Amino acid sequence: MVCYSNKTLTVPANFCLPNGLWKQEPVKMGLLSDPSISTHNKLVDSLAKHMRKLCYVFYTAGVVWFMCLALPEFNHGTYLSENALSPGLVYPEIRIDSNRLALQLLEELQRERKEHQSTTPHAWILGKFNEFGLETYIHNYTLRYPFGGGKEFHGKNIYGILRAPRIGSTEGIVFSAPYRPPSSVHDDISASVPVLLTFAEFARRKNYWAKDLVFLVTEQEQLGMQAWLEAYHDGDKKYDTSSSYLVPGNLPARAGALQAAVNIEVEDLEIDYVDVKIEGLNGKLPNLDMFNLVQRIMAREGVTSGYKQAPRKKRRTNYSTYEQNLRQMLAMLSAQTSGVPSGNHGLFHRYRIDALTISAAKRVTNSNVKSNPSSAAVPFLKAIEGISRSLNNLLERFHQSFFFYLIVHNDRYVSIGDYMPALVALIACGFVKAYLIWSTLDAPEHTSQQDADTNPPAVYLKLTLPYGSVLIYLTVSVVIGYMGNVLPLQKYLISLPIGAGPLTVAMLMAINLAGFALPFFLVLPFGGLELLHISLLLIYSCALIVIGLLNFALGFFVAVLSMPMIVALDPNTTNVTLRGLARLWTLLLNPVVVIYAVVLVLTFYQFPELAFQQLLLRAATAAMDAVTFALIDSVIYGNWLYFVACTVFFPLWIACWTLALGRRGDNTISKTKLKTN
Amino acid sequence: MLAELTLTLLLLLSPLALGQTQIHQFQYQTDEQFHEELVVRPLAGDHVNTYFQFTTRWHYGVHKNLYHTQLTPRVIAEILQTYDVRELHIGLTQGLWRYETWGYPIVEATGGAELWAWFSSPNLTDDSVNNQWMRLANVFSGILCASLNFVDNTNSIAPKHIFRPQFMESGHRSQQFVRYATLPREIVCTENLTPWKKLLPCGSASGLATLLNSGYVHNTKYHSLGVKVRTLCDSDDPNNCIVELTQTANLVYDLKLLEQSNTDFSLRRLFGMGLNGYCEMANSSKIYVQRNEQGERFQLTPPPQEEVLSKVGGHSVLFGVYDIQQQFEGPGARLFNIAWLGPKGNSKREHMSPPPLYAHRYLLGNGQKHGRIATEVTNTHYEPLPVVLMELVPWYVHAYLHTLRISSKPQHLYEYTTNELKYSLLHYAPGKQRVLPTHLEIGFMLPARSSALITIEVDYLLLKWLEYPPDANHGHYIGSAVISSQLPIGRNYTALPLEGYLFQDSFNASRTAYMLTLRTEALIVSLPTPDFSMPYNVICLACTVVALAFGPIHSVATKLIIVERQTTIPRNLLRKIVHKLTTRFSRRPANSAVNEQQNDEQNGKGKEKEKKKEQEKKQLDQTENKKFCDKQAHM
Repeated sequence: MVCYSNKTLTVPANFCLPNGLWKQEPVKMGLLSDPSISTHNKLVDSLAKHMRKLCYVFYTAGVVWFMCLALPEFNHGTYLSENALSPGLVYPEIRIDSNRLALQLLEELQRERKEHQSTTPHAWILGKFNEFGLETYIHNYTLRYPFGGGKEFHGKNIYGILRAPRIGSTEGIVFSAPYRPPSSVHDDISASVPVLLTFAEFARRKNYWAKDLVFLVTEQEQLGMQAWLEAYHDGDKKYDTSSSYLVPGNLPARAGALQAAVNIEVEDLEIDYVDVKIEGLNGKLPNLDMFNLVQRIMAREGVTSGYKQAPRKKRRTNYSTYEQNLRQMLAMLSAQTSGVPSGNHGLFHRYRIDALTISAAKRVTNSNVKSNPSSAAVPFLKAIEGISRSLNNLLERFHQSFFFYLIVHNDRYVSIGDYMPALVALIACGFVKAYLIWSTLDAPEHTSQQDADTNPPAVYLKLTLPYGSVLIYLTVSVVIGYMGNVLPLQKYLISLPIGAGPLTVAMLMAINLAGFALPFFLVLPFGGLELLHISLLLIYSCALIVIGLLNFALGFFVAVLSMPMIVALDPNTTNVTLRGLARLWTLLLNPVVVIYAVVLVLTFYQFPELAFQQLLLRAATAAMDAVTFALIDSVIYGNWLYFVACTVFFPLWIACWTLALGRRGDNTISKTKLKTN
Repeated sequence: MLAELTLTLLLLLSPLALGQTQIHQFQYQTDEQFHEELVVRPLAGDHVNTYFQFTTRWHYGVHKNLYHTQLTPRVIAEILQTYDVRELHIGLTQGLWRYETWGYPIVEATGGAELWAWFSSPNLTDDSVNNQWMRLANVFSGILCASLNFVDNTNSIAPKHIFRPQFMESGHRSQQFVRYATLPREIVCTENLTPWKKLLPCGSASGLATLLNSGYVHNTKYHSLGVKVRTLCDSDDPNNCIVELTQTANLVYDLKLLEQSNTDFSLRRLFGMGLNGYCEMANSSKIYVQRNEQGERFQLTPPPQEEVLSKVGGHSVLFGVYDIQQQFEGPGARLFNIAWLGPKGNSKREHMSPPPLYAHRYLLGNGQKHGRIATEVTNTHYEPLPVVLMELVPWYVHAYLHTLRISSKPQHLYEYTTNELKYSLLHYAPGKQRVLPTHLEIGFMLPARSSALITIEVDYLLLKWLEYPPDANHGHYIGSAVISSQLPIGRNYTALPLEGYLFQDSFNASRTAYMLTLRTEALIVSLPTPDFSMPYNVICLACTVVALAFGPIHSVATKLIIVERQTTIPRNLLRKIVHKLTTRFSRRPANSAVNEQQNDEQNGKGKEKEKKKEQEKKQLDQTENKKFCDKQAHM
């Protein structure tokens, strides 16, 4: 006789199984159909007892593993994988006369800028490109803004192509500089165009180019770049006026398959330091080799450069401490989470073109390093030349090294193989809990039927679960979430005389309300809550794994935030305070509340002087703008954060809310009080 | 109606019409001639085009004379014999000719290696031509040190409409076959130039060929070596034949790359040295310098000996002519140099109006699964032009004919409209994986002052892992498209007329229409490429794991494991012996039972099933007993 004592079972404390059961076990050796690992055994039961503890152990392990990644033992020094790059193999040839040209061009541009307060001096840029002997073209594009009654914006990009002598226009590299008119709200980067032109003039006189060089000046920030890229890759598309917002048109000339792109943002020719921006659309990154290349060449030319480089004053030490490393990692992740590119380079990644932004910051005047203005930009120009020559050397597209990584310090990184275990450990709780709930579903049934030899009661119970109604429930919640994608862009709603922000937020609020009310209208039958719980855990875990693979930052942060709530959630708890707390917690993790909280924290850091009430109000408007921008980003650039929040996270939240409420079909409550924990 | 008529006219321009007068001219010449020519044309945007043409023309008469060559290289004469080749074009090119700024070249060539040939002989079949084509390519692979040996039937096609023969058959009307192939990946270098020069009668020892120094030739923006062979026979008399070998070198220099401040240039600047004389074998050796258009701003020193005005199709070109043989008549060795002196001061760059027809090609779409090949043909002329386009799509790219679209737009617009052009001619031979390339030819009328965008959707194939080249992530090439048309005007048109063989034959050669062929850019597609650093690791690891796991899993799945405990052995020595003996006797039948059971499983004989069941039962009992024993022992 083998006897069990299980505290979790409600009715009889002990029950015994006849020996006959054990007789069968060692005989059958089927690998997968081994009955010993079927729904309930000793291991599962003891695990079920400690389920919550186990989940929290997994959770802590994940977080601790992530924290450990900042330790030097857990990350690696960067190295160049692609031999063809061979950075710094050639002597830079750019000389002081180029700097003189840059100064002269900057002066001319400043004069032009006085006349063009809110427009781009197209004619001047065109003229310069022509003068340097480049093939020069204009690209026109149109934006049909979806909100505000269908306004149309027209833009113009200017690009010059240096046809490489050593190739028949089959491959190209892009050097781009965004142009901002004086009226722009962003930082003044008017020196970028002169730097770009200077480099173009220098490159035109060299015969070693084996890839066409495209020099591109874009306007209207990322919109111009997006239009240019779309025209480059989808120039033949015919756009119908109803459903397309950005009409890029076609390009008059191309330069083959683009291999890499460097975006240059220069505040002034006197450069203090260079910040290398890498985060692209949806958190994509350029190849680590490209980042390393820039780092190496900048170091060779003596330009201070790094990822998220801070001004000289703020840099305390060159040595990396644990705290600094962790800060750097978190900063990188938080920049990636939103999926908004940190510069114009980010839009290239979508077309599998590795790109980054070299953003040079202006030297603040009373610095102790004196520099001669007539040669101030030479090191920077030399660095650009070095980067371009290394890229020119590339025989193949970037394919070695890493595309998924975290930068811990300027010369240290964490590869995907090292950081994914953290996310997997976090998400493992979901799968473990789902399995344990599933395997303990039938536990009480044994108590009623002593002879287990006849029909396995577990199968019986599991077959009778209300699969259909749970499926319908989930579908309804997904549809409610999906409405958030569709509704704000409907024709008749857009034509309403409200701004884009209030309209979107009103729609989202309505959808949120529908999600909030859903469990009050749709009550699941007996067993439905348990099944919903299991499916919630499975869908949630799978979704997070997938999101984490595409954009680790988003997956990781969502897992860290929501996993404890998901673990704590228990629809069968009898404790009223516990239940109340779970409901409160779930409400706090509503996507809209989370967005508001994030914006609130950001606002607090940005405007610490504001009073609390003002802060709340300002955060509310900022959150409204954030949501609207997310929607526009998803429509124009293909950022999927808004889509994921609406169609994945919100339906999951509805399921969580249903479980937290714990409403079930009345007639069955008394009969079966399932206690899974 | 008009369109179709012009088109048929374009296609049916037969070789027979062109050379009636020619034949009579060389009726009784039996000698061999060699001419060397150099054309220098300043182009827009500080570029200079230099074009070398070396022509050997041999009136060999009877066929068997081909075995006794003098000026014509022996290999050329031999291929005519061995492979029934009537016409042959080989181009080895680096760079791309920019039609919009440079106008039209004198000879057309596409980037990389290009080869096409006409075969004709009484008993030729399609299969034998395929065979001879490959052998021909292999021969020239050796002669020119190029990778032409990669030309085979998987990348060759037989163009239907776009190429017309430029040779003349002797009497009998036998079938004509044409084959065409390009190798866009081929890189042209010194190793091709040296053997190419060796085909010349004087080699690189003297004459204009001394100017072709590889250090300078390969520093150009565009350089193209060409070999063209054709035979011209009297239609009545098969023993009255001419073989014509034309070797061309077409170079475009970028004056900005010569690292000088002004726009002056000279032969010495371009080629590194002056001219040291002429080839003694040459009947004529001349330099032509264009004096009008872009050449207008230059002063020449020394001035040309004479000037020739050539009017072609309402378009006049002025050439200065230097006769080198005349130049070197006097005694004493001198180096001859021509200098072009540009205007002092910064001259305004004049805008060059684009030629009547030009084309570009690009790849659209993103990702490694599918894309669209787009060819854009622009007509800047005020009349509609007939256009024939040929595409050769390699087998690793699947093209879908139903996705073929020809959309058009007015020239000044950037966006293509929805109206589509209708094609009046279509030839499509679908490709076959690893066997045949896709071959597409379309003919249509291109309206005046408009562009046409021809798009076709393609799928990229996942290759077998041995089919990837060493630098797999570089991408695979799709060769350029060939576009053919007939221009009504001679603007920018400089090609030699069909019946001529010297550059001076193009002077005043007005015709009703001018045959034009254009080449577009080649494309690079990135096919889905596996990570080639992975397979080795993964294959090694996976094989090890499978090998290690297979044994245990197999035995676990097929064998029954019986654990025997030794705890029942008594301590006493005598009893031990007795126990051993008894266990040995009792164990033997059990062991044999296990063996038998395994045999049963292997043989799977049905009649022994009952026996097996009995044995199983026995074993069950045994194991149960053992279990009990174990428990007792534990207790």
